[in-house]
Parts: sequence; structure tokens; C-alpha cells
Amino acid sequence: MSTATAAAALTSTIFGNQNPCNRRWMEISHSPAGNPGRRSLVTRAAASTDKEKKNQPKRKTKRPKEVLEEEKPPPAAAAAEDGEMQGVSTATSVSAIKSRLDEVNPVGLGRRSRQIFDEVWRKFSGLGTISRTARTDADEEALLLREGGPMCEFAVPGAQNTTVLVVGATSRVGRIVVRKLMLRGYTVKALVRNADKEVVDMLPTSVEIVTGDVGEPSTLQTAIEGCNKIIYCATARSTITGDLNRVDNLGVYNLIKSFQDYNNKLAQLRAGKSSKSKLLIQKFKSEDAMSGWKVREGTYFQDVIAAKYDGGMDAKFEWSTENEEAVFSGYVFNRGGYVELSKKLSLPLGSTLDRYEGLVFSVGGNGRAYVIILEAGPLADTSQSKMYFSRINTKVGFCRVRVPFSSFRAVNPEDPPLDPFLVHTLTIRFEPRRQKSVDRPIGAQDLRSFQLILEYIKALPTGQETDFILVSCTGSGIEPTRREQVLKAKKAGEDSLRRSGLGYTIIRPGPLVEEPGGQRALIFDQGNRISQGISCADVADICVKALHDSTARNKSFDVCYEYVAEPGKELYELVAHLPDKANNYLTPALSVLEKNT
Amino acid sequence: MASTIHAQLSSTPMKFNLHHNSHSSLSWRRALAPDAVASTSSTFLTKGRGNSALITCNAQSAPSAVNLAPGTPVRPTSILVVGATGTLGRQIVRRALDEGYDVRCLVRPRPAPADFLRDWGAAVVNADLSKPETIPATLVGVHTVIDCATGRPEEPIKTVDWEGKVALIQCAKAMGVQKYIFFSIHNCEKHPEVPLMEIKYCTEKFLRSSGLNHVTIRLCGFMQGLIGQYAVPILEEKSVWGTDAPTRIAYMDTQDIARLTFIAIRNENINGKLLTFAGPRAWTTQEVITLCERLAGQDANVTTVPVSVLKFTRQLTRLFEWTSDVADRLAFSEVLSSDTVFSVPMGETYNILGVDAKDISSLEKYLQDYFANILKKLKDIKAQSKQSDIYF
Repeated sequence: MSTATAAAALTSTIFGNQNPCNRRWMEISHSPAGNPGRRSLVTRAAASTDKEKKNQPKRKTKRPKEVLEEEKPPPAAAAAEDGEMQGVSTATSVSAIKSRLDEVNPVGLGRRSRQIFDEVWRKFSGLGTISRTARTDADEEALLLREGGPMCEFAVPGAQNTTVLVVGATSRVGRIVVRKLMLRGYTVKALVRNADKEVVDMLPTSVEIVTGDVGEPSTLQTAIEGCNKIIYCATARSTITGDLNRVDNLGVYNLIKSFQDYNNKLAQLRAGKSSKSKLLIQKFKSEDAMSGWKVREGTYFQDVIAAKYDGGMDAKFEWSTENEEAVFSGYVFNRGGYVELSKKLSLPLGSTLDRYEGLVFSVGGNGRAYVIILEAGPLADTSQSKMYFSRINTKVGFCRVRVPFSSFRAVNPEDPPLDPFLVHTLTIRFEPRRQKSVDRPIGAQDLRSFQLILEYIKALPTGQETDFILVSCTGSGIEPTRREQVLKAKKAGEDSLRRSGLGYTIIRPGPLVEEPGGQRALIFDQGNRISQGISCADVADICVKALHDSTARNKSFDVCYEYVAEPGKELYELVAHLPDKANNYLTPALSVLEKNT
Repeated sequence: MASTIHAQLSSTPMKFNLHHNSHSSLSWRRALAPDAVASTSSTFLTKGRGNSALITCNAQSAPSAVNLAPGTPVRPTSILVVGATGTLGRQIVRRALDEGYDVRCLVRPRPAPADFLRDWGAAVVNADLSKPETIPATLVGVHTVIDCATGRPEEPIKTVDWEGKVALIQCAKAMGVQKYIFFSIHNCEKHPEVPLMEIKYCTEKFLRSSGLNHVTIRLCGFMQGLIGQYAVPILEEKSVWGTDAPTRIAYMDTQDIARLTFIAIRNENINGKLLTFAGPRAWTTQEVITLCERLAGQDANVTTVPVSVLKFTRQLTRLFEWTSDVADRLAFSEVLSSDTVFSVPMGETYNILGVDAKDISSLEKYLQDYFANILKKLKDIKAQSKQSDIYF
């Protein structure tokens, strides 16, 4: 449109003249009525962003829809559209009359001209400003989406589909974790002990607050429902042993258990097709399953003379026809002797154990402890195989035992950590050493005899990401008299997480400082050497970054501010953590650290 | 300063009422200035001001400000953002929350509360800069005040931008706030004829004379503003209004501004300095519209309004009292008609802040991202609607 007409139109609109020129201008500038489809498309785009961005509270997601409702074409136009679609000419003519009537309706005219005037005036006066845009409160929501939604610098791709349970959401680290998660579009659940007003006020409004106590397993089931990941930043409020045990040790343990129960439930619902489903390695349901399993005897001592006085040992693996079960049983009366049952694994085509997290044994028997030994190495040359072991405990009666690959240690300490991809042989070994004597309900049994009923062996599914992030501590900065107890409880919590088979990340920050994050370079290290503090905000940032970082899975690390190390202790990974826009400092920092620690 | 505003105001005889108000506020400032200049420490200042009892809050809060030694120390992570619902303010809030600050937002009481702020985890306090008595309570326990407020277009500029800011700064001083960040407009000293720029410039000077530890940041233009002004109308096939002004503005992403602001806040060497943030390149309106057209893949329905029309409307609206606010808003047309370039070389600023120039997003990149995103969304919706056809 030419400048002259615009100016003329402008003046006429301002002074309310309804000349033809003005009418023409109306049609052009007020295109939403003429082109309702397109307009509502854009609005719907905004609305759908809103839905995906779940950090908007539920009550607000409705608002764009209302706007949409308002912006639907007027009834007359809608009728006209319907008429066209049906192809009935009479309907069209009726609606045409209607719309003509609508045009002369003085109220409608007045409202429309008012709208047009407002629109024109808004745009016109908008020209006078530099970059401030005139906006009404109704626009605010949509504008928020335009500005903060699609191009938000914090947005994380996986955030929309992830629900994170933050335990200890009111702690110094937890508070910032919750805010960061909200900014990134995660759905957040916060576990708090009591939902007082001051607690609720402290948390963002659309965080789902769940009341519960990590010390009470029964209260955790509702909290865990629907969660994909857990960030645990609760710590005991005092250093009383009972408190420490409740929060730092049992709390972690209880939460892991609830999480696993929930995951199992999900896997059952999806009938074995879910990513949470296990891989069957061996099921002992008929006698055929026994083939390939070999029983061996051996001894740790090569002392021939002592062996003369030993009572000998015996073991057999056989199919019990009356109970339909595979039983490995026997006795070892030799000192340093052992018996074992082993098999070369043959996995289904296309599956390799590196995609799995660990093994689960469903076994019964008289509750002895066993050692699981994995041999790993190239199949062609078994002489290069390396041995890895892990100890398991069973109960009297049937039970399931999880053994994560991360809990396996090399027999020869110089060997590298276990690579599940290379595992070719599985061995279950019984040895009379280190058997618990407490677990004896039926009379006095000889601890050197055993019976193990095997039901199945499966591999636990793995993931690329971490499931459980635990904020622990290095122990520096705690009052020296209680440091032992604090560390003991934290260690116990860490250990139960490592054994759980969940993907874990254990962060051990130095003493926490309350200051803004992203200012100073950080040191990531393993082995308890660090000496500096770190800001709570930086710890929170590491937690949030670790959620989707595959290098963070199954790692424990210490982190603190950069410092000049004392001589002899300077082995650490320094990573510059500058407040850059796309600063992914975590991946390079963690990729050099050892896994399964 | 007083005389310039006075002169400017007296040129509009219709606004006698307003004139009187701001004159009194200026004399108020005069009463404060000797105090601020004479006293070197805040202790003396508050004593001196307590006697003059300029605003009630000063007298009340004086004891707590004087008694600096005991009590809970203010945590450096506690900040107050004024104008948090604005284009820049909300990015400041997001950034602050992400960096681990405890953010309090000063928001006007209104029917539809700013829920999104509380949703991100900020605390919202209700206060109104035009009512000074509501301010002190919001400043309790605050270490840094970040002021990115500007009056709404539809309300008189003086109430919030001048009187409100003066009250806020005085209050912050009296209550021992340790840092004050003020956002101003680039070139504001060169355009005293534009009321908003005049006021911003005066506030800068007032802040300097107040003795508060402060940083002033001058801004050019926000990229986010362009979305509503050009990008959305083009996508909706509505008419886009532009001027033929040759003015160039170096638009900047508000997220970048927020990031640089926090770097500046933590840098103790920048205290008391004046920084100007500008985008990588200055654009005219026409260039921006052309860029949007190219990225959207469709022609815009451009309505070009000559600057002279804007100027004329301004003159016209100045004649009546009830349109004087409109006249103030249109005052930017004076700036637009001049051949000004709203931009500064940023090299030195980047050096001071230790920022890499390539991390600052350009307008092309910004709009490209926006259009790519929104067009993809539109496509998805079309695909969805096709699918839903099957069921009917």
C-alpha cells in the first residue's frame, strides 16, 4: 500500500471518517477476520509450544485455548464456511444475508471499528518507540512463549519427556536444582517432609510437591510414580548417628528400592518389550537347560600335607524330577576348597552384554553366599581371559539377587575394569569361607554344605543416561569429631546405590559455599584429594547437566574450585568452567575419569 | 538537569499538573544532593537524611542502615529485580535463577499476577514504584538491585521513570543495598527532547550522585521486540508498519544482555562505570523487514509511514492534555528523523568482561532460529490436522 493512502487512512481512522478509502484499508489491515485459518494456526503453534513446555502450570495451559476460542471466525463466517463445505447453495445465501445484516448491526460495527482503531493505534504508536513493544496482558502469555519458548537458551531436548524427583528440594543445592530444572522445561516432583507454607513458598509454583520421608519406604511409592530420574540432595540435619543413618544411608537405599519396584512394574506392563525388560541368559525349566553347565572342584591352597586331614568335597548339578527344578548342591569340608558351576555363555543373536547393566539371579536354597566369576577376553584366545568376581548373598527360600557389572572386581588388581562386552563364561562358586552363620532357621546346619536351586539368570537392562544422582560429600569441612560417622553413613548410601544396578552419578563436592555459580574453574577428580570448596549453584549445575550426559553414568567424582595442588597430589582433571553460552564442560571433564567407581 | 526537564516541561503548557509534580521531585533531589556529596560514608548520610524526613521510609529504615555491624549479614546471592515482567527483566530473572541467585521480583499488584516468575522459582513481592511507601519492605535483605523497569506506554512517564526511580534509589541507599544496576538508553544524553531518554539520563546522574555502588548499562534495542513488531505480522499475513527513517539500531538478544549483566555484576572493577551494550550490527527498519521476508519465505504487507507523519501526530497530540502521554511516546520520532546510529563498538566492553565476541548472537541467527522453529511448528500442526481428518 502506498504511503499516501496509509496516511489518509490513518487520519480518517483517527477522526472516525468512514470513507471508501478507509474501508479498503480496513479490509487489508484487519486480515485476521478474512484469514482466520492462518491466524489460528499461529496461535495454535503457540498453544502447542505451551503444552510441550510443561513448566507452565496446568491452569495456565488453558489460557491460549481461550484466546483461540475468541479468535474463531464470527458465527456468520463460520456458517459461510460450513455452507461451502457442504456445497448447499441455499445455506450460502442465508449466511450471506446474515453477514450483510451483521455488517449493518450498529453494535457490531462500533465494536469492530474500535478494534481496528486500537490495532492501528498500537502499531502506529509502536513506531515511535525504539524497541519497546506495546503489549496487553492477554498478549503476555503468547509473547512469553515466543521469547522464552522455542529459543530459550536453557531448553534441553530431552527435558519435556523427563520427570525428575528431587529429594531434599529445600536444601541449599536442591533449591537451585529445582529452579534450574524448571527453567529447562523438566517436570519436577519435590519430596518434602512436610508441606508447610514456607516450604511451598520456597518452591516454584508448578513443582509437584509430595510429602514423604526417605526413612519411611511406604511413603515413597507415590513420590516415585511417573519419575524417570532422581536427584538426591538431601542430607541429615544433624550429625547424630541415627539421623545420618536414616537419611544418608537408609534413605538412599529405600529410594532405590522403590525406584526399582516402579521400574519392574513398568516393564511388566509393557510385556517384555520395554527398555526396562531383561535379557534371558538361562532359564532352568527342563532338563535340557542343564547342558553346558560343568561342575568343577578346586582349592586355594596347594598345601598337600594339610589336604590329607581334610574331609574332602563333593558337588553335583542335577535335575530334580519331583520338584522340576535344577539343583546345585554339595559340601566342601576342605580348608580353602571350593566347588563351582560354570558355563560358556551363548547369547541370543544380536545381543551383547554391554547393553546390559548387570545380572539378576533367581535362586532358592539354604541361603549361602556365593561368588560370581566372569571371564572376559577375546573368544579366540581364552588364555588372555581375565577374571572378575563379585560376592552375592542369598536367602533361605527363593529370592532374586542383582549383581551389577560395576560391582565386579578384577582378580588381578592390575587388570582393567570389567568390559561386559567381552564376557564369555559365567561361574557360580561356593566356598565355605565367609558364610554368614545367622541365617539358620532350621536347626544347626553345617555351613560347609550348600544347596542352590537355580530358576533363571537374566541380564538387567541398561540405559545411556544416569538414573540416580546422589550428592554426597568429600568429608572436608565437617567437624572433625563427627567426620567418621558422617562419612560412614554417606559411604553406605553410595555403596547401596552402586550395587543397585541403576545408572548412577555420585557427586562429592567440597564444602559448599553460598555464592553464584559459573564464576570459577572447577576441578573434577577421583580419589579424595581435593581441598577447596564449591558453590551450591555449581553443584546444582553439575546435577542438571549430568541428567542427560552419558559420560556421567556410573561415575563417582569429587569436585571443587580450582586450586594449586600440593606437590605429589597434582593429579587432577582441570576444566575451565567459564560462563560461556554453550558451555558443556561436564562431558570433557568426566570422559577422562574412571567408570564404575 | 533540573533546568532541562523544567524547560522541556514548560514547553507543554497544558501539563501544568504534571509539571508541578516533577518540579517538586526535583527539589527533593536538591535536598538530597548536598547530603550525598558531603557525606562519604552511608552512616552519616542516613543520619543527615533522617532529620530532613523526605520520605517516611528513610526515617524508619535509618537505624537498621546505621547499625551495620551486628545482625544477619546480607547474602551476596540475594537480588531484587525491578521490572521483572518486562522483555529484559524476565531474561534477567531466568539468568539469575540459573546462576544460583535468590531472586526477588518487584511486581506491581495486578489482577493477573505474574505467575511465570513464581513458576521459575523467583519470589514475587508486590510494590509500586509510583507509591514510595511500598518500596522499603521489598528491599530488606537485598544485596543487589537490578533495575530494568520502564513505565508502561499507556501511563504517564514521570511517575514511574522519574519519581519512582528516585524513591527507589534513595531507599536503596538508605537501606544499605550494596549494588545498584541501572539500565539506560544509548545516546540518552544527546536527545533531551525525548522525555524518556531525558529521564534516563537524569536518573543516571542522580544515581552517580547518590553515592551508591552502581553500574549503569546503556542499551540499544532488543531483538525480542522485533518478533512482535515484524516477524509475527509477516507470518500472519498482516500488514507490517515501518518507517522510512534512516536510523540504524544495533539490536541485541536480551539473553546476551542478561548474561553480560551478570558478568558485570560480579566484576568489582566495573563498579561505578558506564557500559554500553550493543549488538554486532546496526540495522534499519527496512533491512529488518527484508530479512524477515526472506526467512519467512513470503512477502510482507508493508505499510511505510513517513517520519514526518509521526512528527505531525506528535505535534497534534501535544496540543491536548489527555493525549500528552501519547505525545511523549511518539517523541522517539524526533530521534528517528535524525540520522543517528544506535550502536557502539563493543571490543573494549568484551575485553573488560572477558567475553568472546562470537558468543554474542547476531540478528540473522536469531531470526533464522525463530522462523525455523515456528515454521516447523506450523508444519507439525498441519500434519496433525491431516491425521485427525481420518477419524471424522
